[in-house]
Amino acid sequence: MIIQLLVSGLALGSMYGLVALGYHMTWATSRTLNFSQGHVVMLGAVVAYGVHVAAGWPLAVAVIATLAASAAFGLVVERIAVRPFFTAGSPVWLLSTIALGIIVENVAMVTFGKDARAFPSTLALKPVFLLGAGVYPQELLLPLAGVVLMGGTQLFYHRTFYGRQLKAVAWDREAAGLMGIHVPRAVATAYALSAVLAGVAGVLLAPLLNVSPTMGTLIGLKAFAVAILGGLGSAAGIVVAGFLYGLVEALVAGYVSTGAREIVGFALVIAMLTVRPWGLGGRRPTRRV
Amino acid sequence: MRRASVMLVAALLGLLALAGVLPAQQPPIRLGLAAAVSGGSAASGEAIKRGLSIALDEVNARGGLLGGRKLELVVRDDEGNPQKGVTIARELVEREKVAAVFGGLHTTVALAQVPVWHELSTPYVGTWAAGTNITQNGKKPNFVFRVSANDDEVDKFLVRYAAEHLKRGKPGLLLENTAWGQSNETGLTKWFAERGVKAVGVEKFNWNDPDMSPQLLRLKQGGADVVMLVANAPEGAQVVKSKAKVGWEVPIVSHWGISGGRFAELTGELSDGVVFVQTYSFFGKQNARGEAVLKALKDRFGVKGPEDVTAPVGTANAYDALHLVALAIEQAKSADGAKVRDALEDLKAEYAGLIKTYKRPLTPEQHDALTERDYLMVVWKGGKIVPVH
Repeated sequence: MIIQLLVSGLALGSMYGLVALGYHMTWATSRTLNFSQGHVVMLGAVVAYGVHVAAGWPLAVAVIATLAASAAFGLVVERIAVRPFFTAGSPVWLLSTIALGIIVENVAMVTFGKDARAFPSTLALKPVFLLGAGVYPQELLLPLAGVVLMGGTQLFYHRTFYGRQLKAVAWDREAAGLMGIHVPRAVATAYALSAVLAGVAGVLLAPLLNVSPTMGTLIGLKAFAVAILGGLGSAAGIVVAGFLYGLVEALVAGYVSTGAREIVGFALVIAMLTVRPWGLGGRRPTRRV
Repeated sequence: MRRASVMLVAALLGLLALAGVLPAQQPPIRLGLAAAVSGGSAASGEAIKRGLSIALDEVNARGGLLGGRKLELVVRDDEGNPQKGVTIARELVEREKVAAVFGGLHTTVALAQVPVWHELSTPYVGTWAAGTNITQNGKKPNFVFRVSANDDEVDKFLVRYAAEHLKRGKPGLLLENTAWGQSNETGLTKWFAERGVKAVGVEKFNWNDPDMSPQLLRLKQGGADVVMLVANAPEGAQVVKSKAKVGWEVPIVSHWGISGGRFAELTGELSDGVVFVQTYSFFGKQNARGEAVLKALKDRFGVKGPEDVTAPVGTANAYDALHLVALAIEQAKSADGAKVRDALEDLKAEYAGLIKTYKRPLTPEQHDALTERDYLMVVWKGGKIVPVH
């Protein structure tokens, strides 16, 4: 039983970590985030379903189209739900991104329908067994994708010129602007990249969770908890926190009760915010005196 | 000149009509459907509408009721929303002057409407929503009837199947964490207790939960030899997927929620062998009415075969419900709500229906025309629903 719970927990945790990376992406640039990240995951899955399953495009083409659509949506989020408030220094983006998520969910209900649909994948048909614990091969892709994308974002922010520009915006918007960085474009880029990450998550999760307009809501919320635990500013912290959160959920549900799962999970978040608000992997912010 | 003569003829005809010289046009008897016909549950509303209109056409083809009055169906959408349900209930009775109303899928809507039917003295016949206290609402006289399943009876049926047919004595309950799950926890526990059996575990899950393996593992550790499932299609699908992951060979006995969505599509061959309850199946050998209804579905709605009948229980329940109401109107010799209600409670005529032969199906004590004896156990097999024998 313990092995199965560990395997299930890690699979679940890599799901959360993958989605939570999207929060990090925009936070690292603009200190804002799309609260409806889960809805972007859903959008990715729905678009992939539309072009691959319904329209019959080959998978590779469908994935490219999905990621392009996700990026475009990221730009829309930034333009209409973040930029007007970000430049004014107001925290209203918090509500406006939630509102946009609700709109997207309802549009999906009208166009896609409310029924959950299957996204066929040969990797999600039958579980394979490791040490007696079952796991779907598709689930094994998730930690892989999580680690690769985490590494990718780290490299991008720390090693590339453009990535450093984006990071500079987060440190000091005005100074970055004075240094010749186009701030609105930098923030828009971060939103597009964040939405692409969500699109990747959507495509990978679709065969496991089934495609429906409500598929992303719960997972987006838990991914946010994971992002807080890991530290919004730290990609590595988020991926590790994802695994931990998944393990805690599986173990609590397995040994205590399913009802206690959410209580323990979110209590951890509150504890972290109290003790170490910058998260597992984040750095204590330097105080200016 | 020409216009004047037209008006003259019209005036003459009007006078003749007033004087009763021309045969008066018999006013139709109007019947209402208050159900979700849009949104996520639209398929259920459409299925009910099909069942009602097929039965209605049969009655009209026989010449209608009360000496030639044709039946007419008025459809209103409750959108699955209890407040909207109350509004359309009033609209159907007060503005559309319907004699009786048929109901849809949502228990919450049906419960909200119960006081309205009593205030307006209009009989209501549920065709889907299974909440026990919709019909057992404590009203006297009770205007609410049902031709569908009822949670308490379903639980009794599922327990009997698990105990007598599968010969299992250590049930594990796996329920959605909602009022519906709660009501079935009560029912299942009660009926297992009747047999001296106690569940070895009760596990809950939330909507959209991705992984059910912890719940299944707990039931397995507890020694469960059968899983009693109360879930809708998406969560039911995650349950069978997680069950394959846990590698647990255990029979699943399910409430009918998993038939409402695309369970077979979501689970592939993993759905094989999951049994659940229905009131009717269009698969297999049909009685004469079954043949007729299938033919009408093909001719009028382009349905290709039984596998193409979406939400079949809605069509079957509604079909029988309309015929029962028609018999009640005939017996009451009136389309007055209170009189039709009295007749429904004491139907003299026997009705050889689609689901069964109804012999005085409704009484002052029993407002559910279908009971546990009339339900049917079916099983998923290769993506199709097949009766269990």
